[in-house]
Amino acid sequence: MAEPSVATRGQKIAHLLRELAVPVVSVMLAMGIGSVIMLVAGYDPLVAFPAMLKGAFGGGRQIGETLLRATPLMFTGLAVAYGFRAGLFNIGAEGQLFLGGLSAAWLGIVLAGLPQPFNIVMMLLAGAAIGAAWAFVPALLKAKVGAHEVITTMMFTYIGRYIVSWLVTGPLKAPGQIPQTSQLPPESTLPRMHDLFGFLAVSRVHLGFVIGVLVAMLLWWVLKYTTLGYEARAVGLNPWASETGGISVPSTTIKALCISGALAGLAGVTEVMGVHYRLHDQFSAGFGFTGIAVALLAKNNPLGVIAAAILFGALSAGAGTMQLEAFVPTKVIFIIQALIILFVAAEQLARWIIGRTRRVGVEHAS
Amino acid sequence: MRVESRFKQVLALLLVFALVAAMAVGCAQPDEPDEPDTDEVEVPTIDFRAAMVTDVGGLGDRTFNDGTYEGLLWAERELGIEIRALESNEIADYEPNIDQLAAAGFDVIFTVGFLMTDTTAAKAPEYPDIVFGGIDQFLEDPGPNEVGLLFKEHEAAYLAGVLAGLVTLDQDFDERVNDQNTIAFIGGMDIPPVERFEVGFIAGAKSVNPDVEILVLYAGSFDDQARGRELALSAIDQGADVVFGVAGLSGLGSITAAQERGALFIGVDVDQYLTVEGSGDVMLTSAIKRLDVAVFETIKSAVEGTFVGGQNRVFGLAEDGVGLAPFHDFDDAVTQEMRDAIEEARQGVLDGTVVVPETRDEL
Repeated sequence: MAEPSVATRGQKIAHLLRELAVPVVSVMLAMGIGSVIMLVAGYDPLVAFPAMLKGAFGGGRQIGETLLRATPLMFTGLAVAYGFRAGLFNIGAEGQLFLGGLSAAWLGIVLAGLPQPFNIVMMLLAGAAIGAAWAFVPALLKAKVGAHEVITTMMFTYIGRYIVSWLVTGPLKAPGQIPQTSQLPPESTLPRMHDLFGFLAVSRVHLGFVIGVLVAMLLWWVLKYTTLGYEARAVGLNPWASETGGISVPSTTIKALCISGALAGLAGVTEVMGVHYRLHDQFSAGFGFTGIAVALLAKNNPLGVIAAAILFGALSAGAGTMQLEAFVPTKVIFIIQALIILFVAAEQLARWIIGRTRRVGVEHAS
Repeated sequence: MRVESRFKQVLALLLVFALVAAMAVGCAQPDEPDEPDTDEVEVPTIDFRAAMVTDVGGLGDRTFNDGTYEGLLWAERELGIEIRALESNEIADYEPNIDQLAAAGFDVIFTVGFLMTDTTAAKAPEYPDIVFGGIDQFLEDPGPNEVGLLFKEHEAAYLAGVLAGLVTLDQDFDERVNDQNTIAFIGGMDIPPVERFEVGFIAGAKSVNPDVEILVLYAGSFDDQARGRELALSAIDQGADVVFGVAGLSGLGSITAAQERGALFIGVDVDQYLTVEGSGDVMLTSAIKRLDVAVFETIKSAVEGTFVGGQNRVFGLAEDGVGLAPFHDFDDAVTQEMRDAIEEARQGVLDGTVVVPETRDEL
């Protein structure tokens, strides 16, 4: 009886490896082409990549910085991935993120003086709620009249961004010259990891990263084992069949897009509570959009999102060291990111290369 | 056979990718200002290092990040120091970039841009042995190793406004000038240095042309060329024939718009006729800030041990810290009357008979 279970385990591992192959090969190809670009531009990739690696993983502080930058990407990556699983392209995570950030910047001041754990929970819930609310109208339009979510969520991103822009330069502006809200009191912030666990190296990474990992695991479980997740996946795979099978497509669509919005909202909350301690106009470096790339690289698997977000976080954290030691402009990381997306999208190319290497491997073996 | 041809296909594809990407890099490469050949005198290199942390626009904005870098290059040439620029891709980069430069042993660090004000104030006390220069930053309580380097942007913009106000009235000046008596201001973000440009420009234009209509538009960021183009197009469509762009990288889009729709442009921070290639046909002049002077002087004083921190230094017309760039291709078109009006305004500012407003409230 033990035999079949071993076989299934073997199959599972083989399946996992197959799933991993495309992203891994894509990243390697992107690095390769990135090296060619560096060479053409007159830089030495053999200096640049080690420098980037050092900047991203060279020590406790560097690893912390990588995880810090991975945190918002993890939330937006999960947001986009969950949408994709339900057949929805939530391109408006950026707007939901801004609204989440806004709620945290406001609520954090209102809750001043209350215990920190209470504030953290309240602010996370509020940010998720407003992110969901911001996705609700596009979701409703999609479900009721079929308005495409790519258009509507994007439009809502503009609305959200400009509302925030207006608030931080106007009604919510802190005294002083800089357009930003007032600083949050310490009890309304996310503690840094080394303050919680003394044995960790001093770095800027905060509790938001752990929350992100937990949320990713929760989402994985939801997708795999709950009715909610099953319905979302079914609608994503084939809405007509799902409808026939008794799943309400409109209601599933609304739920999925709202959950996606809630996750994106959390990205804004953790950035405000863990990094900036206030809201300003440009607190997001397009995390909502990079989240799309993270989701693609992770093949919409919540656990994969953790790894993809860390990779993108490492690129971002290592860029400075790369420029300092190899003189390569930090913007090069955007090219590498773009190449990764290109190769993930052109999955067939990676598959062909994998197939070829395997064939060569088999020939060598025989 | 099949595999072979597939392999060639893939190889071709990869080469195309590489080529396209290489072109993208080539275009994105900041045209680092050519270092003039200073072979005549070999300046001995000294063990002194100065660096800058850019704002999110990065090098290649052809305005203030590049202007600061000019100052570093000047110091490298003249003083023989080692220089470095570290670009920020996002606000979260400010702090680690400063930490990296400090760890690498730099003696002077310039933080570029108003938005880095808080970061400078937070980080400078951590590194008391490093001189911090905050470009465009008014430091509230600067320590002995900090200096805020500010400019009277409104004074330069006032002169630009005088010129724009006169040009838009004079249809013989250029065929692109219309009868709408309308000019435009395109800002990046609504922050004090940009507000000073805006207010000075308006005051200057109104001083010579009280009926002029001035459209004021903000892009919301310094790194969105598409938005800069869009805004300028809409301003030009509303009748503006002279556009003053104070928007960093976003302003490059406004220059494109001026070229597409046939309007004149006034550049900012540096002489953009020189830094933005192919912009000569629209570039009337630029309202310049001598970022290079501020940077060079700060480094020089630090090298010589005469640096005085704990202050905010303000560079205006009187200090030769701001002014108008040459008219270049429009040199023949600019009338003597216009030149006289600009000179009169200049003198007025210098001897105090003209007080240029700094904020909208003062306007």
